[in-house]
Amino acid sequence: MTWLVWRQYRAQAAIAAVLLAAAAAVILADGFQLASHWHSILINCAGNTGCSQQASLVNGMLGDLPYLSLIVPAVLGILWGAPLVAHELETRTSDFAWAQSVTRTRWLTVKAGWLLLAAAACGGIITALTTWWSGPDNAQHASAFNPGHFDTQGIVPVGYAVFAMALGIAAGTVTRRSVPAIAVALGGFIVLRLVISDFIRQHYMTAVTTYYDVAGSFTPRGQAWVLAQGGVSTTGRVVATGWGDLYPALPAVCQRLLPGTPTAKNTSLNSVFSCMRAHGWRGFATYQPASRYWPFQGIETGIYVLLAAALIAVTFVVIRTKDA
Amino acid sequence: MSLAIETHELSKRYRRVSALTECTVAVPEGRISALVGPNGAGKTTLLRLLAGLAGPTGGTASVLGGAPRQDPAFLAEIGFLAQEIPLYRRFTAEDHIRIGAHMNPRWDAALVRTRLTELRIPLDQRVGTLSGGQRAQVALALTLAKRPRLLLLDEPVAALDPLARRNFLTTLTAAMADADGDLTVVLSSHLVTDLERVCDHIVLLAGSRVQLCGDIDTLLAEHKFLVGPRKDTAPIERTHQVVHTVTTARQSTLLIRLNGPVTDPSYQAEDVSLEELVLAYMGADEAAAGKHLTTVGEGS
Repeated sequence: MTWLVWRQYRAQAAIAAVLLAAAAAVILADGFQLASHWHSILINCAGNTGCSQQASLVNGMLGDLPYLSLIVPAVLGILWGAPLVAHELETRTSDFAWAQSVTRTRWLTVKAGWLLLAAAACGGIITALTTWWSGPDNAQHASAFNPGHFDTQGIVPVGYAVFAMALGIAAGTVTRRSVPAIAVALGGFIVLRLVISDFIRQHYMTAVTTYYDVAGSFTPRGQAWVLAQGGVSTTGRVVATGWGDLYPALPAVCQRLLPGTPTAKNTSLNSVFSCMRAHGWRGFATYQPASRYWPFQGIETGIYVLLAAALIAVTFVVIRTKDA
Repeated sequence: MSLAIETHELSKRYRRVSALTECTVAVPEGRISALVGPNGAGKTTLLRLLAGLAGPTGGTASVLGGAPRQDPAFLAEIGFLAQEIPLYRRFTAEDHIRIGAHMNPRWDAALVRTRLTELRIPLDQRVGTLSGGQRAQVALALTLAKRPRLLLLDEPVAALDPLARRNFLTTLTAAMADADGDLTVVLSSHLVTDLERVCDHIVLLAGSRVQLCGDIDTLLAEHKFLVGPRKDTAPIERTHQVVHTVTTARQSTLLIRLNGPVTDPSYQAEDVSLEELVLAYMGADEAAAGKHLTTVGEGS
C-alpha cells in the first residue's frame, strides 16, 4: 500500500521538496542578514540613549515571507488532498484499487495517513524556518502574539497544514469531484481562518485589563497581545486611543483645553490629562499577557487538529458506507 | 455441486429508480456464466453488488459462501474488472504489477508478465498510451494475477475489435483451463455470439429483473420453436410455457418452454439457438412492459 502512495505522489513529493528547499534558501539567506543587522543595531545602541532602535528591520517583499509560508502548505494540502478520493472516483481507478485484497478502510488509512503526515512535516519545516526568521522582528516590536505574526510562527502552521489536507480529503470524498472539492475546501479554509483569528482567538482565555493614570502610558510586558487600549470615564464610557475618538467624549471643560481648538489658550496636552484625571478618567489596556503565547498556540493548534480528525472520521464513514 | 453465487430477491434502488429488482440467481462453481441483457437491464449493478463495491437495498447475496463484504479474505477471492477498464493511465503495466504485489496475498506477477509478453504488450509503457484492446488485456491479466476463485467481468469486450475480442476470450478460457474447476466466471455482454463460444451458463436480465438463469445446454434442450397453422394457442399454453409468439396471416411460430412432449401433430418442433432464445426473452420482457407488439402481420 505504501508503495502505491509513493508511486502516486512521488511527483508531488518532488514539487514539495523543491518548494521547501527554495523557501528555505530565501528564508535562511534573508534571516542571517536580518540577524546581523539587528545585532549591529543593538551594539550601536548600547549605552547610546539617542539611538533609534526603531529603524525598520524588515521591509519590502521579504516582509511577507511568513504569509507565503502559511498559504503555500495550505493551498498544496487542498490541491493534493481533494483529489485523493475524488480523482480515483472520477477516473474509476477506485474500481481497480478497491478490487484488490485491501479494504477501503485500510486503503484510506494508508493514503490519508501518509498525506497528513507529509502535510504536518511540511508545515513543521516551514514554521521552524519562519519562527527563526521572525526572531529579530519579534525582539524589536514584541509582536509575536499579534494577529498575522502569531499565525506564522510556533506550532499553529502545523495545525493549519494538517487541517487543510484533511479538509481537502473530506471535501473530495463527499463531492466525489476534484474541482468542486478544491473550491469548497479553499473557501472553507479561508472563512474558518478568518473567523477564528478575528473573532474566536481573543476569547481562548479571559483577557486581562489594566487601568493606569490617564496621563501616563502602559505597555504590557513582553510579547503581549493588546486587544484594546484607551480611556475610560467614571461612568464607564470606554474610548479607544486617538484624539479623534476621544475628543467628543470628553467633558466640555476638558475639550476647551485641547491644543489646536479655538478656545485653547497656551494649554498643553498635560492640562487636558489633568482635567481628565480630575473628572475621573483613567487609561486602560485590555490584553492577553505574553505568558499566554504558548497556551494560545496549543489551543489554536488543538482546534485545527481536532477539526481535521473530525473531517477524517467523516471521510471514513462515507468511504465505508457509500457505494463505490 | 456447490454454488459460487446464490442470490435471493437481491434488489438495488437508486432514489426512485430500481436498478435491480428481486434478482434470484444461482451460478455453480467452475462455470463460465454469460450475464446478458439490454443496456440498463441491471448487469453492472448485479456485478457490483456481487463484488461488494455496492450494497443492496433488499434481498441477500452469497458469494463463495458468504455475503460480499469489506474483508481482505473475501476481496482476495474476487477478481472484478469494471466496464471502463480502470487502470492508472500514467502508470506502466509494470507499475500495476508492483501495486498488485503490494495489495494482494496471492499474486502471480509472472503470469501477467508472461501473458503480456506473449501478446507483445510493452510492460514499461504508460497504459494510457496503449490501445483499447491492449489495455483490456493488461487489466484482465492483472485481474487473473490475483488468482481469484470468482471472476466478475463487466462488458470487458464491448469496446474491442473482433481480433482483440478473440484474444481476450482465449486468455479467459486458458485461465479457466489452468484453474482446473476452481474458477467461476461471470461475464456480462450484449454480444451473444461471443458468449456462445465460451459460456456454459447464462443469466438473462431485462428491465432490472431476471428472465432466465441456468445451464445453456439444458435451457436449449428445454426450449423449442413450434411452427404451425395460426390457431388458438390455449391448448399449448395449458401444458407448456409460451415465451414468445410471432404470427403471420396463416402461420404462427411459438417459442415454448417444454413441459413434456408436444402432442399436437399440426405443429412442427424446431431447435432454438442461444441468440434466438436470448432475443425472445428480451422481447418477452418488452411485451410485458407493453412497449412492443409481439404480433406482426395483418389480422389480429
